[in-house]
Amino acid sequence: MKRVWIAWTALVSLSGIAGASPIQVDEAVAPYAKVGGVAGNLNSIGSDTLNNLMTLWAEGFQKNYPNVRTQIEGKGSSTAPPALIAATAQIGPMSREMKPTEVDEFEKKFGYEPTQVRVAVDALAVYVNKDNPIEKLTLPQVDAIFSKTRHCGAAAAIDTWGAAGVSGEWAAKPISLYGRNSASGTYGFFKENALCKGDFRDTVKEQPGSASVVQGVTEDVQGIGYSGIGYKTSGVKALSIANKEGDEYVNTDPELVLAGRYPLARFLYVYVNRHPDRPMDPLVREFLKFIVSREGQQIVVKDGYLPLSAKIVGQELEKLK
Amino acid sequence: MTMLGMTSRRRSTERLGQVFTWMCAGALALNLLLAVGLLILIGMHGLAYFWQASVTEIELKDGTRLIGEVHGIEAVPTADAAWEGEQRMRLKIGNRDLYGLDFRWLRESEIETVTTPDEVVLLERLEWGNFYGRMVELRQAGSPVAAGSEAVLAALPDLHQRQMALRESIESLEHGEMGEVNYELEKLRLEERAVRMRGDDARASADLARMERTQAQLDERYRELAAELTAMRDRLHDVVLVMRDAGGQTKEIAVGEIVRVVQPNSMGTLASVRLYLGRIVEFVSGAPRESNTEGGIFPAIFGTVMMVFLMSFAVVPFGVLAALYLREYAKDGPMVRAVRIAVNNLAGVPSIVFGVFGLGFFVYLIGGTIDQLFYAEALPTPTFGTGGILWASLTLALLTVPVVIVAAEEGLAAVPRVVREGSLALGATKFETIWRVVLPAASPGILTGMILAMARAAGEVAPLMIVGMVKLAPSLPVDGYFPYVHLERKFMHLGFHIYDVGFQSPNVEASQPLVFATALLLVGVVIGMNFVAIVVRNRVRRSYATSAV
Repeated sequence: MKRVWIAWTALVSLSGIAGASPIQVDEAVAPYAKVGGVAGNLNSIGSDTLNNLMTLWAEGFQKNYPNVRTQIEGKGSSTAPPALIAATAQIGPMSREMKPTEVDEFEKKFGYEPTQVRVAVDALAVYVNKDNPIEKLTLPQVDAIFSKTRHCGAAAAIDTWGAAGVSGEWAAKPISLYGRNSASGTYGFFKENALCKGDFRDTVKEQPGSASVVQGVTEDVQGIGYSGIGYKTSGVKALSIANKEGDEYVNTDPELVLAGRYPLARFLYVYVNRHPDRPMDPLVREFLKFIVSREGQQIVVKDGYLPLSAKIVGQELEKLK
Repeated sequence: MTMLGMTSRRRSTERLGQVFTWMCAGALALNLLLAVGLLILIGMHGLAYFWQASVTEIELKDGTRLIGEVHGIEAVPTADAAWEGEQRMRLKIGNRDLYGLDFRWLRESEIETVTTPDEVVLLERLEWGNFYGRMVELRQAGSPVAAGSEAVLAALPDLHQRQMALRESIESLEHGEMGEVNYELEKLRLEERAVRMRGDDARASADLARMERTQAQLDERYRELAAELTAMRDRLHDVVLVMRDAGGQTKEIAVGEIVRVVQPNSMGTLASVRLYLGRIVEFVSGAPRESNTEGGIFPAIFGTVMMVFLMSFAVVPFGVLAALYLREYAKDGPMVRAVRIAVNNLAGVPSIVFGVFGLGFFVYLIGGTIDQLFYAEALPTPTFGTGGILWASLTLALLTVPVVIVAAEEGLAAVPRVVREGSLALGATKFETIWRVVLPAASPGILTGMILAMARAAGEVAPLMIVGMVKLAPSLPVDGYFPYVHLERKFMHLGFHIYDVGFQSPNVEASQPLVFATALLLVGVVIGMNFVAIVVRNRVRRSYATSAV
């Protein structure tokens, strides 16, 4: 379902990209139009993947409305639903979709579902140290490296780089695993899509932030970890991934991700509490409008993620009316 | 024989004593060494961050040209004999808008030539980080003003200064007049909601009509200001500097977006030092940019200091009152002893437990109630019912109250009995004795307690993460709008800033030195606050030392 959407995005936005790198925001996405009377406190609690994006959006938003006070906390996607339910935040950024149980909790309190807005596209990259000769992995191989249950169908666990297909001096080196803590939406997404809902191994070193995964892999030559593509540095290498043996290996190039060919692509979301019969709080509405405007999507590019297509932006704007 | 045995035993204990003295001295020396070593490590990394290294231009064997700063050289870790002993360097290439990544690794064997051309410039920009390249042309309103490196460099400072002034006036318009209109509009919206919540009557509709008129006026004023602002913004982007990167790609950069223009390779020593100091000032007094990876950390310094002061105001009276009761009024017995044990144990409770308590008690219970009683019109957006600097300070006050109680009790115990009895004998009541005689004499001890509490509070991060500390809170808890001090606001903290920049930042490589610089500053702030408190204590001690005798 999700991948179909992303493929859709691509069809519309590819014409705008035309192979240019760095990636451009779709020309059809309208620039942000300012309105009067926007001020007050804006609290955001949620995803750590989106933490920097939220901060950058807040900085941009404040250029338009100097008197808005934005306060951003990012300790994992799982912290967003409770914050929205307790109304300690108006904005809940999440790097995965809300689980049905979380939506139920919300509905129980307010009597309607939370409003979901897609804000950016991310490719979840599998990173290895820059000195590691490996270039590509299949999803079952990734599963065999990270999971103890191997639901994706690998025959045996992969414990050394040799078993993952590296030859020479690397073959005997053990693999050292880096991952996220369980409050993270990245953790949830990876578990669902790369481990086929299996369990992580106990040897995965759980890191408090996406950047610390990248840092761990930078320092540890035998390391492997997963994080959003926005966190890439020169110390790590993002691997090409294939759905299964025999399929084509796809790297994290923006065009390929937007074309829906990279297997670990996902949307990033922002959830808000919006009463269906009442007008939306102007502050929240304008902030979301800013996010899906050309300026907001330019910021997405700046942070290393991929922008939405004009088509999706149109759908999201419809929700904000 | 017995005599001989005793002497030899004494000699052996003496020797043991000597060994023990040496051990103590050694342990102290080791501790000092560790502390000094840590400071030197942080200082070296932190202070080096602001120094401008020279910028090199590198041509690779495949013809690629790169401009950047060399950030470290290391041996390539490989067993391959062909690469044996080869080195590689990490080059900061900047130009994030063109290349995506700030750094690039280059192997020795890839490199053809390394030069340090004089005309290469480094632009510090408000967005997208540094730009390394050569200046091509300066344009104003679409027409060229100057072309060629030297001509541009000559014409640029004036235009840059003008654009900076323009940027400042934009900011003052935004935060001044426009901010006021926004503030009034938001106040109006909340008032309107409050009126609507009150229900329908004649007065309500009159109020609403009045509000509508004010709203229309404000909207009109806002539109005027917005138009003015747009015009100014256009002028800001009117002057464009055309740059060429190492590979020949050109890039237009609005002069208003440039913080600083540096020619690192043709800079004299004096200019280097000035640049270095300028950057330090910017770091300490500026606001963070680009998701905290660039710019300054003033809001974090301000938040830390303000939080610690608020905490001191809360903790000292409470701690002193508790100590007074325990020492002066309560009769010693199992009850008082139990309280003392409890106080001492409280000091050993992990700080995160206090954080959770603060969240449940202060934020949800007290804050939530305040919101329902006084800020109902703003709900469901919480005002006090979410983390804020007040709740964070109170949580830390709870955390540090045992320290103050213990220190204050010791201070009170040190006041000689004669002094109290003298005071009582002169006819003073017990309260007068405590208030006029005992407390002043004990104040150095109380201040010691406060110093210890402040030091502990300034370094505490874990409990604050759940009671109001945030990654970005661009508005300080103090500003020009009534009631000027906004205790409900969230705040930034140096300790969390270190964690955030080091582990959460999108550009870890580029922001790593910032972690050291921030850590150095945190140490500096703690030392500074303690120093002030110690000076105050010594002054107090001196003034009471004469009167007590």
